[in-house]
Amino acid sequence: MPVVELNINRIRKLVSGNVTRKQILDVLPFLGLDIESEVGDEIRIEYSPNRPDYSTDYGIATGLQGLLGIKKGIQKTYIKKKGKFAIKVDSTVTKIRPYLTGIVATNGKLDDVAIKQLMNMQEDLHFGIGRKRKKSSIGLHDADKISFPLTYTTVSREHKFTPLNSSTEQSIDEILANTEVGQNYGYVIGDSKNVPIIFDSEQNTISFPPIINSALTTVTSNTRNILIEVTGIDKEATEDMLSVVVSILQTAGFEFNELKITGNKNSTPQLKEKIMIYDPKFTSEIIGIEMSPSNMVTCLKKCRLDASVKGKKITCVIPRYRFDIFSPMDLTEEIVLGFGIANIEPKLSPSTTIGQKNDVTIKTKLISQTAVGLGFLEAMNSSLTSKKVLYEMTKRDSSEIISVLDSKSQEHKILRDSLLPSLLDNLSKNIHESYPQKLFETGVVFSKGKPIHESINLAVIIAYKDTNYSEIKAIMQSLLRTNFKINSETKTSKNNELFSIGRHADIFVNENKIGEIGEIDSNILENFRIRTSVVGFEIKLSGLIFD
Amino acid sequence: MSQVFHDIEKKILVTLQKVPNQTPEQLSINTELSIDQVRRGIEWLRLKDLAIVDESQKITFSLGLNGLDSLKNGLPERKLINMLKDEPKTFDQIRSALSGAGFNVAIANAKKNGWIKIEKNNSDSLVSIKEKPIETPEEKLLSLIGENSITQEEVTNPLAMKILLSRPNYIIQTSEKLKTISLTDAALSLDTSISSSGAIDVEAEVPSIFAARTHPLQDTIDEIREIFVNLGFSEILGNMTQSSFWNFDALFTPQDHPARELQDTFYLENLESKNPATLSQIKNVSSSHNKNWKYDWKLSESQKMVLRTHTTCVTIKHLAEQKPENARIFSLGRVFRNEKVSYKHLVEFNQIEGIVIGNNTTLRDLMGIQKEFYKKLGLTKIKFWPTFFPYTEPSLQTMVYNEKLGKWIELFGMGIFRPEVTKPLGIDKPVLAWGGGIERIAMLKYELDDVREFYNNNLSWLRSA
Repeated sequence: MPVVELNINRIRKLVSGNVTRKQILDVLPFLGLDIESEVGDEIRIEYSPNRPDYSTDYGIATGLQGLLGIKKGIQKTYIKKKGKFAIKVDSTVTKIRPYLTGIVATNGKLDDVAIKQLMNMQEDLHFGIGRKRKKSSIGLHDADKISFPLTYTTVSREHKFTPLNSSTEQSIDEILANTEVGQNYGYVIGDSKNVPIIFDSEQNTISFPPIINSALTTVTSNTRNILIEVTGIDKEATEDMLSVVVSILQTAGFEFNELKITGNKNSTPQLKEKIMIYDPKFTSEIIGIEMSPSNMVTCLKKCRLDASVKGKKITCVIPRYRFDIFSPMDLTEEIVLGFGIANIEPKLSPSTTIGQKNDVTIKTKLISQTAVGLGFLEAMNSSLTSKKVLYEMTKRDSSEIISVLDSKSQEHKILRDSLLPSLLDNLSKNIHESYPQKLFETGVVFSKGKPIHESINLAVIIAYKDTNYSEIKAIMQSLLRTNFKINSETKTSKNNELFSIGRHADIFVNENKIGEIGEIDSNILENFRIRTSVVGFEIKLSGLIFD
Repeated sequence: MSQVFHDIEKKILVTLQKVPNQTPEQLSINTELSIDQVRRGIEWLRLKDLAIVDESQKITFSLGLNGLDSLKNGLPERKLINMLKDEPKTFDQIRSALSGAGFNVAIANAKKNGWIKIEKNNSDSLVSIKEKPIETPEEKLLSLIGENSITQEEVTNPLAMKILLSRPNYIIQTSEKLKTISLTDAALSLDTSISSSGAIDVEAEVPSIFAARTHPLQDTIDEIREIFVNLGFSEILGNMTQSSFWNFDALFTPQDHPARELQDTFYLENLESKNPATLSQIKNVSSSHNKNWKYDWKLSESQKMVLRTHTTCVTIKHLAEQKPENARIFSLGRVFRNEKVSYKHLVEFNQIEGIVIGNNTTLRDLMGIQKEFYKKLGLTKIKFWPTFFPYTEPSLQTMVYNEKLGKWIELFGMGIFRPEVTKPLGIDKPVLAWGGGIERIAMLKYELDDVREFYNNNLSWLRSA
């Protein structure tokens, strides 16, 4: 979950002068925000990826004002239509990054803290709804450094300009190779010969989307007017992103001027609200509380939406940046938040169903109980294990290996097809503990099938100096006889590197092989640095005691 | 009635009847009991007024480094005398023969004994023997101690001892507490052979043994499963390996969602599910994605096999296949996340998830089930906070107050399945869902602060937890 850092005094000022620190800390969780840490006046907050408007203190303050009852309803956005701001989209971008949207925010002021927050917000938007800048990406520019109108077009990779945070001109190829953003996001452009670019009317490079802005238009605390441009491969996604930035800059005190967009399926964004009409009965049924429609309207307004009762229905006005609201169910959640979860009384209705454990669970438990009765300690190992333990140290056949892609942990890369290797590994890590050591495990093992077959196995292992084949065979037969009345027999089997020659067998029940048993070979024990005798067996329970 | 004696008591009594006044160490040798057993036996006999324990202090003397040297080569004053035997010597000559502090000590003591006379010259002093030096009491004492040690009582000349003690490193004085055990008159006349026995040392240490047991985490899993069953939920099982269709697509997670990426999800190498779902399920899910998320849904993405990231894929598949009218079901098992392993994160952990469909499916009911669930776990101080899950709306999380840690801890999450999840699968009624990770609860129960401990199978922990 993304994190935002806030100063509590800044938030108090944004919400209104007389709200207390305690009020803010108490209400934050009820906006769905988790307080991760609190050091002095600095707090770190986790917000949900579906609410990118909470990526800055402006957005959070807007939410707090609602729940605290200080300001309710929608913040309406007025966009001045007439102006000099315009951009033309050239058809050459169609195949690379076809859509551009934007707006000009005017007459505002951002301090250094606000600029830092906006930069973080951009990164969170790029990662989340921007899908790592592939679907959409934003650029913020000092509009006073730009001569309008602009052109969104493509240039060759030899094109040079001075990128953000640099003082020298670099070519597109150099930027992609040498800058961190170039290395991280160059994949979006791939090996396309030409790349997207925004020029102003004097042919100054403004931006190289989705990689980097030009140094020329750097936003600082002196910037008063900001050009916001969003490019992407999905028109809706670019406008989603734009609407979040607009809502935040609006709270920061900016006004908005239209950026006229023409050309190639692009159009000037309207950032229109969405209207949803729905039946309040639905919400009452979901929450389990009879709530009057007017009460619901109040709740919706506390969540910074607009709503009114019309006949038996509620008409709800949803600002453009709340694109997380799909359906009446989402409005129900808003009503729950506005009403306050703390005000909803839990109710325990009698169950009309009778609970039951699964047969597999019941029978596996029976086996475990017998194993404990025979003096065995239960081990639990990961199903994802390492090639080293599963195949190399045990010299087992790895031709049917099942691997996961790109595991972050060396020890967890292979799905186990057997339980014994991990039990040997357990013994190996406990050689300083007293003997005898007796372990068992029941668990899922995997084999290639259509596409994968999962079954439940039982493995048992004994380690101490006098243990031998007879002891483990007696244990195995007792485990199957107790409760399940299964008679098993052992038959000489062909050599297997896990076990000592002549001291292992296949386990059969009714002519079907269900597993293997034997004394573990001394070479294998040496691999695990175990200096005592070890015997063990493993059988497949699936198909034997349950289906 | 004859007294019942422990074997230890009996052995001590018999030994002391033969040889009175023994130390515990002597008793240990004579009875062949360990010193601890002897001490315990003496204590029991003392409490029965059969033994008397005399405590005294024993002071012994032995020779220190200088004492041993003098024993061999004579005291410094004796060495001086030996040098002067043939002719008088100057200070310079003596000083070069008796190095260091030896010179001053030798001159001072020889003079005190009246053995020498000193004549002053122009530049030096000349020393000569005055009278025949006889053996001093200190020298006698040195030979008496010799290379052994003697007790205070054995010191014949206390003044000589005082003098030697005042000279550095000549005498080592040690003192130890001494216990002497003797028997009371009653004990002396006891006939231990007729007293009944068979008693054993019930206070002795015994070797540790360990109970065989089920794994502590398994115990917690079973306890939680039991609570679900008591709340009317029936258990369903499903595979850990799932197609992306059931793990993600059926749960309305768009195909380009960051959670689906390799860095969060384990994809299985070269494995895919040819027919992850029925044709109509695929058609409906795909159109829900296309309509709501506005992108081009691809079957190939949904065919990729993953290790399930939650047990929800099992419950949703069950609902889509069975379409029950009224049911409480749950699914419990391992789930996987491609994360770095740390004290708070595992790549594989246990999750439980229950769902309710049919009657009593309001948010209040869901909260009521939660409250009852925690009550059965002994957790009564709980509250609910809003949260976000991609496939439920509204979504809540439970916060449970932990007295030991003194803070609120996030436990299970809950919510109502979004219509975008249920409708395409032909489920018309609201479905409540709730659940979470089990290791978190087990960590509280076993007071662990490192979740990896559960899978280390460390015998010292398993045997003592």
